[in-house]
Amino acid sequence: MSEAQLATRQHWSAQRERGSLLLMRFTAFAARRCGRRLLSPLLHVIVLYFFLTGRRARRSIREFYEHLATSSGRAGLRPTPRRVFAQFMAFADCLLDRLDVWRGALRLEQVRLLDPDGLRAQLLASHRGGRGQLLVGTHLGNLDVCRALAELGEQVPLNVLVHTHHVAHLNRLLGEAGEQRMRLIQVSELDAALMLDLSQRLERGEWLAMAGDRVPLHDGRRATVDFLGRPAPFAQGPWLLAGLLGCPVNLMCCLKIAGRYEIRLERFLDAPAWERGQRDATIAGWAQRYADRLAQWCLLAPQQWFNFYPYWDASDA
Amino acid sequence: MNASTHTALAHTALEQELAQLVIDTLNLEDLTAADIPPRQPLFGDGLGLDSVDALELALALQKRYGISIASDDKDARRHFASVASLAAFVASQQAACAN
Repeated sequence: MSEAQLATRQHWSAQRERGSLLLMRFTAFAARRCGRRLLSPLLHVIVLYFFLTGRRARRSIREFYEHLATSSGRAGLRPTPRRVFAQFMAFADCLLDRLDVWRGALRLEQVRLLDPDGLRAQLLASHRGGRGQLLVGTHLGNLDVCRALAELGEQVPLNVLVHTHHVAHLNRLLGEAGEQRMRLIQVSELDAALMLDLSQRLERGEWLAMAGDRVPLHDGRRATVDFLGRPAPFAQGPWLLAGLLGCPVNLMCCLKIAGRYEIRLERFLDAPAWERGQRDATIAGWAQRYADRLAQWCLLAPQQWFNFYPYWDASDA
Repeated sequence: MNASTHTALAHTALEQELAQLVIDTLNLEDLTAADIPPRQPLFGDGLGLDSVDALELALALQKRYGISIASDDKDARRHFASVASLAAFVASQQAACAN
């Protein structure tokens, strides 16, 4: 297998959601009927199956903990089989929470908002003619609590930019759950028409959200940054988009801390722009700053790192 | 920049405006509109712009002239080839809107 083929096969988007739609439906149904406590033994069995058969996922979580322990100097974070299994359990828990979020069972009052920069007020203001902004999320924690965020904004439309074919699955589930306010927009490559569309959405006061911690497969725009002490490819997309659209950029993260969701919102860039000839360097700088912030958040809830695929440069063994 | 190798035609008013738009949008501070002959390629060997510059230009055109490029517009590349082709595109779009 060529190196490119190997890279393609190892890429997160190539990872089929192993039977997950059916399983999620079943689990969702069971969770509704029996309650999560009763479901717990069954859930352990399901998770154990994925744990035992997902060798690559196990290895990538181990790698995450190794880098986290080394970079933070906290030897207590070294990977153990129990810790890796707990990661899978945390992911299952997250999936169940996502279903709760979609059917509205997770109320806004149950979520704690940490918003030192007053971004909620800005979200509300865009309802009254303000311009929209960009939210950059992460697969650390539960991204779907974005949905709760849309509720926070009281009907401010949120457009979620996604890269993959998984969209079809998610849209179907969203639709079944009656979700209307959130729109998924599939982005494979930045083109002029898409830029104009996004720009007009911002002008209308809509907000854009996208993940900052996954690299699209077919887009060569990546920046290699230092993440937890090792070189890792990060997407340039969010930062490129921010600079082109010239809109404020905010970071968003939703971690479950002591059984309760905490949404962290913070301003990242006020007016992103680059000097002529400095574009790549500027974007690489933003990507690095983002990776640094993400690394700090990882220490808050390492168990909620849900990137179950090789994350770092394979060449850097 | 090898502007001298291109036919140095004088700018029309719209071309002049667009050359200035290119300069302002992309912060080409060391250039004036006269440094971008109408038929000089904007991308590659000409002015040396790239695909991200093209996106910036597309946004600026939309803001200034209210024109947009459809996603299935295979001619987009051709429209952006030079200041002259941009001018032709803008003029045609404006004519289309006036009708």
